[in-house]
Formats: sequence, C-alpha cells, structure tokens
Amino acid sequence: MAPKKEISEKRKRQCQKLVEIAKDVTRKAFEKFKHEELAITWTGGKDSGLCLWIVRQVCREQGVGVPKTMIIGEGDEFEEIEEFVNTYKTEWNVPLEVCRNENVLKAAKYTLNSIVNVNDLDTRNRQELKRIGFDGLEFPFEAESYVGNHLMKTVVFNQFLERNNIKGVFQGLRWDEHPSRFSDDYFEYKEAGDFAPEHTRIRPILHFTEKDLWDTYFAFDIPFCSLYGVGYRSLGAKTTTDKRSSAPAWEQDLENTEERGGRRQDKEQLMDRMRKLGYM
Amino acid sequence: MKNVVLLTIDALRKDALGCYAKTDNLSPFIDSLEEKCVRFNNAHSTGPYTEAAFPALLSSSFYLEYGRQKRLSEKRLLISEVLKRSGITTAAFHSNPFISGYFGWNRGWDVFYDSLTDEVDERMPYIKASEINKKVSKWLASHLGKTNGRPFFLWVHYMDVHEPYVPERKYLDLVDPGMHLSLDDMMKLFSEVVVKRSVSDAHAVATLRKLYQAHVREVDESVKELFLMLSERDILKDTKLIITSDHGDEFGEHGGLSHDGKMYCELVNVPMIIWEPDRNGLMECDHLVSTLDIAPTIVHWFDLEPVAQFEGFSLFPTEDYHAEGVFGEAVDKRGRHEKGDEKEIHYYREGNLKVIYSERNDCWELYDLVSDPRETENLVDTSPKAEQMKDKIRPRVRRNERKLQRDDN
Repeated sequence: MAPKKEISEKRKRQCQKLVEIAKDVTRKAFEKFKHEELAITWTGGKDSGLCLWIVRQVCREQGVGVPKTMIIGEGDEFEEIEEFVNTYKTEWNVPLEVCRNENVLKAAKYTLNSIVNVNDLDTRNRQELKRIGFDGLEFPFEAESYVGNHLMKTVVFNQFLERNNIKGVFQGLRWDEHPSRFSDDYFEYKEAGDFAPEHTRIRPILHFTEKDLWDTYFAFDIPFCSLYGVGYRSLGAKTTTDKRSSAPAWEQDLENTEERGGRRQDKEQLMDRMRKLGYM
Repeated sequence: MKNVVLLTIDALRKDALGCYAKTDNLSPFIDSLEEKCVRFNNAHSTGPYTEAAFPALLSSSFYLEYGRQKRLSEKRLLISEVLKRSGITTAAFHSNPFISGYFGWNRGWDVFYDSLTDEVDERMPYIKASEINKKVSKWLASHLGKTNGRPFFLWVHYMDVHEPYVPERKYLDLVDPGMHLSLDDMMKLFSEVVVKRSVSDAHAVATLRKLYQAHVREVDESVKELFLMLSERDILKDTKLIITSDHGDEFGEHGGLSHDGKMYCELVNVPMIIWEPDRNGLMECDHLVSTLDIAPTIVHWFDLEPVAQFEGFSLFPTEDYHAEGVFGEAVDKRGRHEKGDEKEIHYYREGNLKVIYSERNDCWELYDLVSDPRETENLVDTSPKAEQMKDKIRPRVRRNERKLQRDDN
C-alpha cells in the first residue's frame, strides 16, 4: 500500500496505550456476553475498520473466531470500499452478512434518485415511516437523505439484531466525531423499543481522536480503503460524499475542519426538525 | 466571578412569568428567586424569532449585519470564543436547529450539544429540558472532576415552551383542571390553528394560550432542577445566572400566532432576570436594555477587557448604564421565501415611544407604550416626535447591502 506516514517510537507507545484501553472494553464485552450474542458493525470505513481490527486482536488472544459482522448495503457504495471489504473479509476470516433493505431497493427499482412510492413498501417499512413522522406519499431514493437513511440503515440494523439474537453490538464511534457525542459511553444499553430489540452498543474506540486513529493505522500497519489516500476524509454514500481536498485524509487539518462536512444527512435532519417545530 | 450560566428559554413571553405579570402561579420557582435577583423590567430582544435574536444573545451583534447567509458569519465574534481564549471552560446545551453546529454556532465551545444526532418525536420535536438538564449534570460532574472547579460559562437553552403545545396532563391541570385535551387534539390545534395562523376562532386561541402557559409551568420546574443541580454540587454560591428568552409568542394580539417577522411587544419584550449569589433583596431596573448587553456583561463579570466588536454595554453597575434606546431588526418573512423577497423590518424604542418600519409596504408605525401598551393606535402621522424617531431607523435600513457594495468598490 503506497501511502505511508512515519510514526515515532514514542507516538507508537501512546497509540499502543489507546489500543489497550479499547481491547479492555472488548474483553469486558466478551465476558458480559456469549460469543454468539455479539456482532460487529462494519462499513468499510476507517472507524469501524479500527474497531474490527481491535476486536479481532482480542479474538486471537482468546482463540475464538471473529463475531458475526454486518455491513449495510445501501445501494450506493464506492467500488473501492466494496473491493476493500471483499479482500479483508476473506483475509481476516470475517463472517460477514451483507444486509439490505430489499423491499426499499425493489420499490426503487435498484436505481439511485428514483422515486419510491410509500404504497409499494411492506408493512414494516411503512410503520417505520409513520414512526419517524414522515407522512408523504413518496420519497427519492437517496441514501443520505433522512428518510432513506432511516429505512436503509436503521430498519436493516434492527432486523439483523432480531434475526441473529444479538445482545451486544460493536460500533466504531468516537467522541470527537461530533460535539454532541461527548456524553456517549463505552457501553450503552438500549431498551427494547418499537421494532428494535433490546441490546447494548459497545464502542471500544470512543477515546480515539481522528489523529490518534490515523497514527494507530500507520503504527500497526493496519490496512484501510484507498479512498482515504486521495482526499476523502469521511466516507458515506458515494453520491453524497465530497472530497474536500486532494490531500490524504491524515494530512488534512483535522483539528479545525469538520470531519463529516462533506455529508448531506445533517442538513436533512435539520430541515426535518424545523418543519416539526412549525417552521415551513 | 467564578461561573456564569446563561439560561435562555425559547419563545418565553415576558408576561408569562408571574413576577412580570404580577400574578401568582404562573412560574412559582422563578418568582421565588426574587430576593437574590436584579429584574430588568424593560428588556428587549433584537429580533422576533430565533435567527434574528441569537446574534445579539451570543455575539452582541445585529441579525442583518454581516450578510444574509444562513450560516453564522465568520466575522461575528461569539462570547464563547472570547471566554475560551481566556481559559474559561465553555459549554452549550440546546436543541434548536437554527443555532446548531451545522450553521456554525459551535465555535468557541469546549462542549457543544445541539441534539441533531438524537432522534426526536414528531409530537415533541426537541430534547426536553429535563433531558437537557441530565446532560448538563453529566458534563458538570466531568468538568468538576477533571479540573477541580475551573471557572466555566454554561449556556443552556430550553425548547419546552415552543410550539407544538403538548403539555403533560399534570401541568395542564395546574392551569385549567377542567380542560381535557388528548395529545391528538393538541396536535390538531397545532396543525390547524398555529401552523395556518388562523386566529378567527377566539376559543381556539385562548386554548392555545393555556397550553402554552402549562409549558411555562413545566419549564419552571426544570429551572428549579438546574438550580438544585448547582447547589448540590456546592457551586451555586460561586455562580451568576441570567434568565432570559430569545423572543415571545403571539396569541392573536396583532392578527397572528407563533413568532413571525413582526416587532410588537408580545414578541420583542423579553424577561431578563439576573440571579446573584450575594444579593440581598430584589433590585428592579427600568432602563431600556437589550439582549445585546448580555455578552458585554459576561465579559465584565469575568474581569476581561471590554470587547470592541460587541455592540451592547455591560448592565452593571445599573446606575451607570447609559444607552438611550434599543434597536431590533429582522427579515419580515421567516423561514423559506423566494430569493430576493427578503424585506427588512426594524424597530427602535426610546422612552415611551416605539417606532416600527416595514420595508415591504414602506410602512411606519409609532406607538406610545405607556398610554397604548397593546400597540393599537398608530401615532406616526400625528406625533411631533415621529420624524426624529424615524431618523433613528432610516440609516439602518439596508445598511449591510450598502456596506458590502462599498467593500466591493
């Protein structure tokens, strides 16, 4: 892999400490839950990738296989991510399940930007739309739109948990991804809700900053998707993720610019809130 | 001063608080704080809705300055930035999309929670004050633990009084025990009456007012919870609190509802109460003050150099407060509108008089707020003071466009 960054011994030791903390969280999860009750969420991106790598390290320590891993097929993926996922799922022996909201994809005729008629959806999807307060008769099939995101990701995630009886799920979230995340915990218990089974979300890499993350990748030679090397800083759906720069992700101004600035989902959520508050 | 808390309550009318309306039982906890408070009886917001009001609250500047873009201009200086560069910890907790990080309001905050990543209910599209308080509590514990009590500036914003009006039974009972409305009924009132701005049914409007008042009771309890949180951690004694709002809410006074681009008192008169730990006995202040003055006051409290860019003045000592009048400005159509269809609306208040200018119809209004507090008799054609009042506003209309043109040339 061409792009490389030199990491000093001192920095490597610092990263090692961060990794140990993450491994401790993981070991705790392994104690709390049975192996078959655990799952990992993977997107092919840098955060879930580090999380997967860490869980895998602990698995090797304990002589067990990697837990069931789910990846969500949004229908709008970068080829480079698909390639990366296919390579490492095999190399690391990851029991991967690609989950898709087939019902929505079918109603959208597997075509991006097509219009989906709510009436063409099954009961479950329609119930979810009602629950989030969407009362329109149709919506455009765009993965980063608020409605699309909810159906393609949230519904699919909940169905995966149900189907596999998952009690603990690993996520690659970090505190510094968004200012509101500071109050997130390593373990977050979610009560059973409408259409969502009770489960605990486990975030071993919460304490990594964006810089810590990249330094760890380089310190331990962890593979990552090539797109990060050509200017993408955060990878969402292909059509709504913009390159903010042509410099590799780890060379961009991590402290002063927004990591997810290239993604459209925030704007949709915002507009939805404004509408609900009577503003449109 | 060690710590400062700015508590802003969205859409809270000044007369919705018992201490201003001179009525019991509207807001018992806030009223009970009286003995340790300075109460400003003539405080104004610089705008009738959140976008127009918050530049004053957090950057002591006016809404129409610095251009019309949705995102906060980089040229505005936020109080959080000023304090943070002096080593004061800054934290913000709110749930209003207009002042979210997406629009650039997260500058200068060590912690900025705007709730956008959380899911909300259609019927309560914000994070409730009680939940906001929990997050504040968690942050406080962490801050005190990590820093051993370094000074902080905490801004908390509650949305509970904002429409849709869907108060819980127990609060509605405190306002009108005979009223029995289901959640569906309340949501219907929201979509049929509030959203459509339909004031023809006086009974419906009166009902809305009661629902609103029930929310005020609810938020009053959250304020109590916040005070308790600070006192339990033994930091209330080192903290000053400012309680105010960004704007009010209309209930048919001028033919409308909610908070549109109008400059009448029900929208721009705001409560402003400052609680001080070592005050003994209520002090009332009748000066005409503005939310523009809040940031300069906070700077003063933290003993920092006055900030040249801030356009307001420190409120203290109150006897030295010199500003004569207060200004406000906004765009008259809130939210979405065609590009180019943005007409300005301005007000200026001095002494008993208030002048309003609406660019859309080139229309002037002048009211004597002592003899006509409801602003129903327009004196602009008869008052000898009209021209001098109008002259205060004239140079401000479209001044930003002119400035941008000058900068270009």
